[in-house]
Amino acid sequence: MAEFITTYGFLIVSMVFAAMLALSLYLPLMTGQLSLASPGFYALGGYIAAVMSTKVFPPTPQGEIFPLVYLLIEMLVAAVASALLAVLIGIPALRLRGIYLALATIAFVEVVRVLSLNLEITGKAIGIFGIPQPFLNKFEYMWIAAPMLILSTWFVYRLERSRVGRAFAALREDELAATAMGVNPTYNKVLSFTMGAVLAGVVGAVSAHFLNTWNARQGTFDAAILYLAFVIIGGSRTYLGPVLGGLLLTALPEVLRALAGVEFLPAFVAQFLVDGRLIIYGLLIALATIFFPQGLITPTMLKRLARRGT
Amino acid sequence: MTTPALDIQNLTVYYGAIQALQGINITVYPGEVVTLIGANGAGKSTTLRAISRIVKARSGQIRYDGRDLTALRADEVVRAGIAHVPEGRRVLARLSVADNLFLGAYTRNDRAEIQHDLEEMFRRFPRLAERRAQLAGTLSGGEQQMLAIARALMSRPRLLLLDEPSLGLAPIIVREIFEIIRNLNSTGVTILLVEQNAQLALQNAHRGYVLEAGSITITGEAKALAGDERVKKAYLG
Repeated sequence: MAEFITTYGFLIVSMVFAAMLALSLYLPLMTGQLSLASPGFYALGGYIAAVMSTKVFPPTPQGEIFPLVYLLIEMLVAAVASALLAVLIGIPALRLRGIYLALATIAFVEVVRVLSLNLEITGKAIGIFGIPQPFLNKFEYMWIAAPMLILSTWFVYRLERSRVGRAFAALREDELAATAMGVNPTYNKVLSFTMGAVLAGVVGAVSAHFLNTWNARQGTFDAAILYLAFVIIGGSRTYLGPVLGGLLLTALPEVLRALAGVEFLPAFVAQFLVDGRLIIYGLLIALATIFFPQGLITPTMLKRLARRGT
Repeated sequence: MTTPALDIQNLTVYYGAIQALQGINITVYPGEVVTLIGANGAGKSTTLRAISRIVKARSGQIRYDGRDLTALRADEVVRAGIAHVPEGRRVLARLSVADNLFLGAYTRNDRAEIQHDLEEMFRRFPRLAERRAQLAGTLSGGEQQMLAIARALMSRPRLLLLDEPSLGLAPIIVREIFEIIRNLNSTGVTILLVEQNAQLALQNAHRGYVLEAGSITITGEAKALAGDERVKKAYLG
């Protein structure tokens, strides 16, 4: 067990983060808005935590761990900053639809990246190093990551069954009909966008500690596509889809590596499993869209399971 | 005469550079069924959409209960007591029948009352009750139209805007839908009805307006309109 944890601790926590980042992209999607802004807020949250822990809070004495309270304060600041920025960006950006909104949010992610490459406070191209550790090893980050995932999943689950969630779904289905029923499109779109931003920002804050270092390579356009893949493959119509997609797809490279270690496997196959994982990723996305166009988990499937359960 | 429930004065609406409504006047009195007939593209749907603030009016006034609706948001219009059943029904296909109805009551906050009204809708539309957990997209056209009307009623409107309720439905279903509309009216709901089927609309309305290329050309009692030579020639065939 101990060996498993030292080997896979980092991976497991990464999987949990990925699940939450997928949820952060799923939230605006609940109102039908394809936003790829999550990595921008993730980067912002990370920089907030990195700057606060290395420059604002008193240095942690040698041999002691970074106080958890500070981490919680950083998460709170990241949440507030992400929310404010999201409202500011969301109001003009959400006037755009479909592909244009996606492009605008990609631009936002790029702006954050270029700014962090050039600003003194974000450490320019080098980034911020030596972010203090609130835990003794990587796996212990589960103390914070697991409750976060449970809380955010529960929140989205409840949201989908609430009045607000129904308004989101109405907007996703038919904006005109929703408007005719008195659902305010701008308000609800900005709300869902902001919820996603807050989640991404908070995950970024924890992630900065987890990765020990934060730089402009965190939260790029590639990451947005990856989160999108989590949502599409996992299922974009229920809260469980992105969670499962994030968990599974993040574990995939390691699963492939393990597969490559199987005996009697021709060397070139083993090599492909390890080095060709991006190709396999792409293949999976293509295959999933053909065979599971609604993703692995669909609302109908959940309903059927619920019925069998009772 | 009593004060009008809805009073539209010199309403103009543009889509970009195209003028969809060229200054129309429409009055609806409480308890009336008023119909708006006309060809495709005459501006009938646009008129309803301007009332419910889905499209913006360029100029003119829409007074309802003494308030000018052009100053309100779409959700405030619903709160003011106006519900819009859009053209083509537009039920939310991937949501359940019950969720569609709950969304109709989106602007209300009284949970117990909403639940009560939901049951009331199921009593009034038994076919929806049988399908309450079903996805709205799996309903037949007539059932979807019933759902669209029931959904609008969930906001407890005093004025109902109905856009082409007969569209794409079999004659027997159309008769059923109009039966529902008459019943609603007899319970005190004022109705502004847009229809392409002029004959059917005039049979069921008190008064009517004929809309042509964005202007009102003829108006009068429904019976008189049904007998009007111009109307007969153009719309009744």
